[in-house]
Amino acid sequence: MPTKLEVRELSAWYGDRQALYDVSIDLTDRATTAIIGPSGCGKTTFLRCLNRLHEEAPGARVAGAIRLDGEDLGAADVVSVRCRVGMVFQKPNPFPNMSVFENVAAGLRLLGVRRREELDQGVAEALVHAGLWEEVEHQLDAPGSSLSGGQQQRLCIARALAVRPEVLLMDEPCSALDPIATAKVEALLARLKSEYAVVVVTHNLAQARRISDTTAFFYLGKVVEVGPTARLFGSPAEKLTENYVNGRFG
Amino acid sequence: MDADVGPATERRRSTDRRLRSLLRRGLAFRLGVTAVGVGLVVVFVGLVVLLVGGASASIARFGPGFLAGTAWDVPRGIFGAWPAVAGTLITSALALLLAVPVAFGVALFASEIAPRWLRAPLAYFVDLGAAVPSVVYGFWALVVLVPFLYGSVDPSLERLSGGAAPFASGSGETNVLAAGVVLAVMIIPTIAAISREALRAVPHELREGALGIGATRWEATRMAVLGPAAPGLVGAVVLGLGRAIGETIAVAFVIGNIYQVQGSLLARGSTIPSWLVNGFNESYGLGRSSLYELAAILLVISVVVNLGARVLVRRFERGARLRPRGARAPIAAPPPREPGTPLGTPAWFARHDAARSARLRRRHGVQLLVVVLAVGAVAVAAWPLVSLIDTAAVNGGAAIVRPSFYTSAPPPSCGIGQTSCPLGGIGPEIEGTLVMVGLAAAVALPLGILGGIYLSEYARRRFSRTVGLLVDVLLGVPTILIGIFVFSVFLAYDRPDDQSAFAGAAALGVLMMPIVVRATELALRSVPTSVREGALALGFPRHRVTLRVVLGSCRSALVTGCLLAVMRAAGETAALVLTAGTSLYWITDLRAPVGALAPFIYDALMVYTNSNYETDAWGAALVLLLMMAVVSLAARLAVRAPDAQGSV
Ligand SMILES: Nc1ncnc2c1ncn2[C@@H]1O[C@H](COP(=O)(O)OP(=O)(O)O)[C@@H](O)[C@H]1O
Ligand SMILES: [Mg+2]
Repeated sequence: MPTKLEVRELSAWYGDRQALYDVSIDLTDRATTAIIGPSGCGKTTFLRCLNRLHEEAPGARVAGAIRLDGEDLGAADVVSVRCRVGMVFQKPNPFPNMSVFENVAAGLRLLGVRRREELDQGVAEALVHAGLWEEVEHQLDAPGSSLSGGQQQRLCIARALAVRPEVLLMDEPCSALDPIATAKVEALLARLKSEYAVVVVTHNLAQARRISDTTAFFYLGKVVEVGPTARLFGSPAEKLTENYVNGRFG
Repeated sequence: MDADVGPATERRRSTDRRLRSLLRRGLAFRLGVTAVGVGLVVVFVGLVVLLVGGASASIARFGPGFLAGTAWDVPRGIFGAWPAVAGTLITSALALLLAVPVAFGVALFASEIAPRWLRAPLAYFVDLGAAVPSVVYGFWALVVLVPFLYGSVDPSLERLSGGAAPFASGSGETNVLAAGVVLAVMIIPTIAAISREALRAVPHELREGALGIGATRWEATRMAVLGPAAPGLVGAVVLGLGRAIGETIAVAFVIGNIYQVQGSLLARGSTIPSWLVNGFNESYGLGRSSLYELAAILLVISVVVNLGARVLVRRFERGARLRPRGARAPIAAPPPREPGTPLGTPAWFARHDAARSARLRRRHGVQLLVVVLAVGAVAVAAWPLVSLIDTAAVNGGAAIVRPSFYTSAPPPSCGIGQTSCPLGGIGPEIEGTLVMVGLAAAVALPLGILGGIYLSEYARRRFSRTVGLLVDVLLGVPTILIGIFVFSVFLAYDRPDDQSAFAGAAALGVLMMPIVVRATELALRSVPTSVREGALALGFPRHRVTLRVVLGSCRSALVTGCLLAVMRAAGETAALVLTAGTSLYWITDLRAPVGALAPFIYDALMVYTNSNYETDAWGAALVLLLMMAVVSLAARLAVRAPDAQGSV
């Protein structure tokens, strides 16, 4: 599979505080890459650099290069970058004053879609794609925030999918969910990876093993090791990785 | 064995005694805070009873026709409310129309656009603008704004409209338009401050959710922030409206005080509060009764606005915007998809995708436009405040650096144009302000805090909801009405001519109470339940938990609330003009009329018209401004400082 996102010597700062040090990774298309590591090691920061949300933080600064299909992200228009690289957050954040329908339609409206049939089709497809359609088919006009936590998270996934991104970033998408909702999102991830480059940050090592093809282990803002998931968990090259995946710290 | 039982029994007895005394004290505390809750109801009922009672003669004489009457003819004894009611509605509407876009622009800039280092100073200046006493705004308006409007704006409006109805040629500098503009200037900071907080309160994740699907910043604000902030924004506007409706002094300065309804904004006019403050002291008989009726009408208007606001805010909180626009035809389920088949791009999506870059340019253009408009709003809102501070500094600067300014009384009457006026000071006015605010604070702060405790900690029933509602209503009651209320109480129980320091202090106390109650209630509610439960679980009695632990852990919010209440009292004019009377001398008797800083400015312009107190008035204005600047800063810093943990 070709490389979708090429990250080269990426460093990131919050004011004087450096959160990432010279991170270089290739993220493969049509595959899931898991980012693991103890909390505070820069996973979220890394993910937020990939669609340039990092620059919204106070005092934020980056160095290095990220290329999407060979095109430099830093030079592209930030709004279209975020359209092409969708993001799902740790805590489900549907727009509280919008209905289920409007939540998914929001991105399409930004692209200029106005016609009723087009919006209907786009929203329905995204909801089906996110595996939510059967559950909300009859409550499209209910507030997005009235859904259960797991449904809200899938609504946020549908919201991101509606604008047809090429990359899907997910920051601990299941950490706020119960086991059943988590299983649904994981099943969804397994389907989505055949169409997108998926990058998932997770705290849960078992989950990383289940869902990812490649795993990257971060520690103190640096990439310690990247490799096929089975290999990284089975026979890690680095001592640090071995200690972490065997639960000796974290 | 007896020797063993003795001390144990003794210990048990003493524990019983302590428990009983604790219970007694807890009960007393509970009764005390409830009494304050009842007291608030009594104040409001008293306000209604005295206004309606005072109006009875007028109601009996004119009936409902009073509202439509257009005359205020003292010799013939014919009075009607319409010119003042219309003036109030027109000036308030005009103020709202001018202020809301500017205030929202300022709030948007301060919350969403400004670079981070600029946000705190900006918030400070907005707060300061909201804290500047209305008499200072009025003074500035009279000296700077009104001549400016008369020289540049009025003629262009006249020309543009060809002298047609709303802008027909007026009769001079002071007019309805000037009043509307002054009101707008005054309520912009109020609306902006609350709107900014409403925007800030929206969780950051929502903004990021919007940015994450490719929204520009403005689009993110529109999609994710405005909706959740809507109740707060509506509340801000209504609060601004309430302030405009009740504003007295600044309007009295610039509206011309003619009792007539005219078709032109460039004509002179009056509003209910300005007519009350101008005429109340000299009125008698049926004329005074009619003024009471005007006051009652003003009370009704302010209560209606207040209750209307509650309904409106509730509606927005429940998400009135969720209802779909028009009924939706059910969407057909899309055909089932093989897993792994991509979403694909239907023709319509491809079409929009192709137009993406052109559309993107337009969206960035809109973003830029919003930024430019918001910056423009900040500039428009900043001008009055900057000009006001500048004018006060230029005109009053020399006075306030002179020590005798604080230690001597205003100079004896000194005609305009006379060149060698002796230099005076505002010593008695400072004394009057300190004495009255001090007396008022000594009573209103403790009672207000108890009232706040009652609302937040003890009351759980319908009665407490009534009290809470009344506190809201009292917060919105124009201060001129509080002045009339207290004046009437003192009139009923004292010598008829009794305007005094006591009466002034009482008015300021009534004014401060609801502010302190609400601030305390909000501060207490912000203390997490776990703090209370933690202390209760250790076996501390309820009242001690409240007094020590809960109050202790929100001390800075409490201090801020009290400071703001004291500042409002120190800058108050309308209520004092009626209750404290006028005096240029040091206090010899608290039962005699007394001067104070803010009313002195009013008196210098409206009462001692043959004297030349303008410089001293500017000095007083500058002193007030400096006080507000320092206290606003202190309040801001207090909010930032972490609270020391309370101890039981
Ligand atoms: N908004 C911020 N401001 C300052 N420092 C931050 C901010 N967000 C994260 N950091 C710091 O950057 C480092 C990496 O954080 P993050 O990327 O959130 O870690 P993770 O997601 O792996 O837990 C941490 O040390 C954290 O304290
Ligand atoms: Mg994280």
